[in-house]
Amino acid sequence: MDLIYSVIAVIGTLVVAFIVSLFLPGIERKFIHARIQQRVGPPITSPGLMAPIKFFFKQTITPESSMPRLYNALPLISLIIVVILLLFLIPEMYFLGALASVIALVGFLKVEEVMYMFMGSLSRSVMSVRMPFPDKAKGAAHQDTPQTFFEELSSLRAFRLIAFGSFPLYIAMFVAVARTGSIYLQDIIAYQQVHGPILFTVAGVMGAIVFFIGYMILLNEYPFSILKGKPDVIEGPYMEYAAKYRAYVYITRGFLMFTLATLFSTLFLGIAPNILNPAFIINLIVALLFPMLMAVLSAFSPIFTYKQFYPTVAGVSIIGVLAIVAALL
Amino acid sequence: MDDKKENRTVIEAEVPMGTVHPAALEPYRLRLFVEDEIVRDAEMTVGVNHRGVERIMEGLPVEKANSLTEKICGICSNSHIWNSCRTAEIALGIEVPERAKYIRIIMEELERLHSHLLYLAHGSEVLGHETFSMRLFYIRETVMDLLGTIGGNRVQYGSAVLGGVRPRCELDDNRIKQITDGMDLLEEKTTAFADRFVSDPMVISRITGVGVISQKDAIRLACTGPTLRATGVAQDLRREMPEYDPFEFDVITQDDGDVKSQLLMRVLEIPEAIKIIRQAVRDLPDGPITNRSWEMQDTPITKSYIEVPRGTLYHSYALEDGRVRNCVIRTPSMANIGAMQHACIGHHITDAQLSVVQCDPCFTCTDRAIEIIKL
Repeated sequence: MDLIYSVIAVIGTLVVAFIVSLFLPGIERKFIHARIQQRVGPPITSPGLMAPIKFFFKQTITPESSMPRLYNALPLISLIIVVILLLFLIPEMYFLGALASVIALVGFLKVEEVMYMFMGSLSRSVMSVRMPFPDKAKGAAHQDTPQTFFEELSSLRAFRLIAFGSFPLYIAMFVAVARTGSIYLQDIIAYQQVHGPILFTVAGVMGAIVFFIGYMILLNEYPFSILKGKPDVIEGPYMEYAAKYRAYVYITRGFLMFTLATLFSTLFLGIAPNILNPAFIINLIVALLFPMLMAVLSAFSPIFTYKQFYPTVAGVSIIGVLAIVAALL
Repeated sequence: MDDKKENRTVIEAEVPMGTVHPAALEPYRLRLFVEDEIVRDAEMTVGVNHRGVERIMEGLPVEKANSLTEKICGICSNSHIWNSCRTAEIALGIEVPERAKYIRIIMEELERLHSHLLYLAHGSEVLGHETFSMRLFYIRETVMDLLGTIGGNRVQYGSAVLGGVRPRCELDDNRIKQITDGMDLLEEKTTAFADRFVSDPMVISRITGVGVISQKDAIRLACTGPTLRATGVAQDLRREMPEYDPFEFDVITQDDGDVKSQLLMRVLEIPEAIKIIRQAVRDLPDGPITNRSWEMQDTPITKSYIEVPRGTLYHSYALEDGRVRNCVIRTPSMANIGAMQHACIGHHITDAQLSVVQCDPCFTCTDRAIEIIKL
């Protein structure tokens, strides 16, 4: 009976998460961006649900890549990583021990980040070097300079994000660890069931702010969209994805939005995602609230360059460290 | 900054952008030579969109050629047709009725308003601020509606004809009221936007000290229009044009020559354009709007310069049997290309397109083959 309960809880949670995640991009764009910008906006199902469905039925292209099959497989691998992340957040999976810990989650998130580097390294879109244009014509400047693709630039930026950009998110995750004295999700939830949510402490509030900024950075949302920005690298690592592979990219993004919000409610509210637990509604509310807040902030921000990005990350990381110190006290 | 711009020896890699790029409204190739994502040198190439308008105009009857000039640009269409008509009017000595002159000024200043608002919207978009961009496009609709009402069309109004303006563009009391109300609404909206714009710390942080063009460089690179005025040079051809003599307006300048100055230039020029339109509507003289009592004759090459939203526009041609010969057109963006390249240097690669956009490029205007035919 317990086994059936667990199977239903795991599968049910994943299915509901998947369904909700399909609507998150639509909610973000229709109800926040469009309202703020005084326009009608797309139908709510369009960006997250109808667009992937449409892409599944499109004819695909063979990308200009040194390893096209690997390149095309990367969004699916990303999706699997994000699903695994959510899987380990579900209480029924806590028997796995170390895999259901903050350290393991950080590891999986890092792997997800590395995917952008791979995508960028393996892509050669037509938008820059391959654009048919006589750059090396007589009289042209710096003819011996090697030419760089936008995706290579994106790949380097992904590396910088791994190196320091995602600090805020990981530091915020360790606020819960510092407070509870355990890296295991099971212990973190148990602590909050006894002592109340960490969010309602000073350390928790500071950690939540830092987590939210980290959430935006990991999702590459404006103003932190240095990996894929219209002014220079355009779509960055995703540029060559077409048809079903682009659909995977869209689905992964929606699922990551849900998973990170669920991670927040697990670490800061002590509510793990489980469809058979009535408190699951809190997970859903947080999952809706995060993209909406993100959309508000991104609607009123220009895109950052390193000049703004470095100080923001440094400042937020310092707040995160202070939150950890406050949690330890 | 000057030291940075002089340091052009260390080139790590080239990042080519375009000719198709979402941050560029029009096709051009921008080669950026970078070192750790900082642009050390830049090379811009235009020419992929040329339509050879001057060549097509060669031998056309002057009335047809005038209409054709309007198709050069979708933003400053009125400027081209006005200057083309003005060229023939100077050559043939046609006296334009006062009322027609005022209507031409109203059309031109309305075009300046929509051009500046489009510039600000595009600049905001490249800045990554979609909300500003959308709101500016929304504000711009007021001007577009007025242009559509007067000219019957939102882009190609065809208001100027030889000797005056088209009868469709006559301003009756109802239209004058629409313009007056439109200006009130526009002033209110643009003031609110300007307040919001200058008080946004994130936007100001992104545009201050970016894409700097010093006054010395602006003069050396032969910049024109607001791009030049944003470096502190009070050069506005409207001060020299007899058509603008009846109107009071200030020539706006800024000192820093960066993206902030360029954007503020356009923001501050909007109230001046509104001021001119209000004066023109208030003092609109009575009388005919077209002078048809002129005769065609052969003329030598005649030049005409006017101040359009982007700077100084030049048209010249000769007339032979009523047909256009040796037509040459120089748009302001042509003069500003050097500044666009220069502005990228020393700044982050993300700011490169912004540095180009700050000069308000219109390459579809600029891309025209110049062919000299020996007759």
